[in-house]
Amino acid sequence: MTETGNPIQNVRWLDAEKTVVVVEAAGEIDLHRSAAFQEALLEPLKKHPQRMIVDMTGVSYMDSSGVASLVKLLSRVRRDKINLRLAGLTPRVRNVFEITRLDTVFELYPSLQEAIDS
Amino acid sequence: MTQTDTDNSTNAPISVKPVIRVVDLVKRFSGRAVLDGINLAVHKGETIVIMGGSGCGKSTLLRHMIGSLFPEEGRVELLGRNLNELDEPDLNALRLRFGILFQSGALFNSMTVGENVALPLREHTNLDEQTIDIMVTIKLEQVGLREAADLMPAEISGGMKKRAGLARAIALDPEILFYDEPSAGLDPVTSAEIDQLVMDLSGKLGVTSVVVTHEMDSAFRIADRMAMLDRGKMIKIAPRSEFEAIRDGQATGDEGTDLIRQFLRGDSEGPITARRLSTGYEEDILEAAWEE
Amino acid sequence: MSDHAAQRNFVEAVGARVLGGVCYLGGITILLGRAVSVSRATLARSSGRDALIVQMVRVGVRSVGIVCLVQIFIGVILALQLAPPLEPWGQVEMIANIIGIAGFRMLGPILTAVVLSGFAGASIAAELGTMVVAEEIEALQAHALNPVRFLIVPRLLATFVMMILLTIIANWMIAIGGYVTALAVLDPEVSEGYWSLMRDQLRLRDFASGLIMAGVFGVLISLIACYEGLRVRGGAEGVGKATTMTVVYSIVSIVLAAGVFTAIFYVFGF
Repeated sequence: MTETGNPIQNVRWLDAEKTVVVVEAAGEIDLHRSAAFQEALLEPLKKHPQRMIVDMTGVSYMDSSGVASLVKLLSRVRRDKINLRLAGLTPRVRNVFEITRLDTVFELYPSLQEAIDS
Repeated sequence: MTQTDTDNSTNAPISVKPVIRVVDLVKRFSGRAVLDGINLAVHKGETIVIMGGSGCGKSTLLRHMIGSLFPEEGRVELLGRNLNELDEPDLNALRLRFGILFQSGALFNSMTVGENVALPLREHTNLDEQTIDIMVTIKLEQVGLREAADLMPAEISGGMKKRAGLARAIALDPEILFYDEPSAGLDPVTSAEIDQLVMDLSGKLGVTSVVVTHEMDSAFRIADRMAMLDRGKMIKIAPRSEFEAIRDGQATGDEGTDLIRQFLRGDSEGPITARRLSTGYEEDILEAAWEE
Repeated sequence: MSDHAAQRNFVEAVGARVLGGVCYLGGITILLGRAVSVSRATLARSSGRDALIVQMVRVGVRSVGIVCLVQIFIGVILALQLAPPLEPWGQVEMIANIIGIAGFRMLGPILTAVVLSGFAGASIAAELGTMVVAEEIEALQAHALNPVRFLIVPRLLATFVMMILLTIIANWMIAIGGYVTALAVLDPEVSEGYWSLMRDQLRLRDFASGLIMAGVFGVLISLIACYEGLRVRGGAEGVGKATTMTVVYSIVSIVLAAGVFTAIFYVFGF
């Protein structure tokens, strides 16, 4: 019933200078997986990117603990002057941001491409 | 968007397994049946309002659905599990998947508002304190109580207690929410705010909601379907529109329908009051006079 | 005919009382069993240990002053009442022996328990009763939090531990009360020989039997208080009744238990 796989499927750097990192999240991010989710999100920050994009296209469900994990990440990247973007939220996941009134706190992009381009 | 959500839930296909099923439920208190053969099915994402006068058994029915009372006959199935057959650990595992807003808010008085919301997270998850703090802030913001996090329950008003109780009920992102008289004793604005939150939770997050109330304004605002309980029996379960039609229509002469109509309209004359009048007042008072 | 009816009513009433008493004992025993079975779970968590400390402070610290006051006076009273009858025998200094035995074996534990049932027992019953009325107990269950683990175990353990600690203090207060009286009122040789006579008289079993009783009283007080509190129905009136019944049942059970234990100690020469 609860997934046990890593909520972060893939981490790739868009350029050789390692300034932009794309983190691909997937599956259900709930109370059981948020701790692993957080840990995996903080990992790429050690290499001091300028921008971090979390691709959420594959996230089918996220609860408020997942949102809280992203808030924690946001406070970290703001301190380190890293730009954080969330891309490809499904309507269901977007609703979680809306109901917690955090849709304006994060930079949300409809798709990964738009998050990379703009 | 709300429109499509409403349509979804009211026209939910019969084949979909209901989230809550009450089957032939009978409950007796010292021999008297307070619930007498109740049947009810609630589908995913819908909001059902259970109405009825004081003592009709609606709170008792709610307590059966949350597993704090058990029936003499029949059963309650929650998320596919028969509550009668669950042992304590299984019941507790199931309890994490639904939330309850109690009539008084039922905050733990020895803890601050924030600690109340944090308690289920601290006890049932292994999230770190920082994440829990963020979640508590999120939940309190949702109910508009962020600034009250450090207050004790004794220091806040009844309406705030109820909202804090709701923040605690949604701490673990439940799939089902039960509300016991959510707007009783609240001012109209606070009541409307809570109604809005109920609608947001079901509309945006797909939470299934069961609301027990006798506040008709609130009931008609939030309900997809409504159910009318009277003296332990379920006399009607129907989409909101049918109840609206009964409320706005003429008296029909059918006792059941007229009873619902009187209840919805809050009229002082009708089958409910007629029942009270025909209980032998004349005989009683004359008998009392003979006693000498 | 009416005689028969009266007899039957009497028998029925007695029967109902006995049955009620058995049910009550059964209820309390079940509560104790459930508390014991989850006590490890309570202590395993830091929140449970914190709650235990909070309850120990609440039960103990609040009562320590009044326990001291009461017990010093008991010592004074014992000394003043025992001295005259011992006088003709020239044995006034024996008050040390008698105060030692009476204080450590009986009055220390019993009177501390009586004070604690009024202080801690009544307040635990009122607190839990209020929580029932405010739907807090139901809310705990609804959040899959066991009220016994969460509320009962800390109160039970705290009362048990504090009852023993308070009794140790109480015993010495009685002794001191007697000594101060001897010093102030009685002949100088009484107070001079007081502590050595008491030391000669008291055996380890005198301390131990008092403390065993104290522990039992602590469990009784908190069990009755929790049971009364949890079964409150119907608002503030119910809470008031629960506090009163807690004190009444606690004191009755303390005295009965003291009788039973004293008889057992006597039979086994303890």
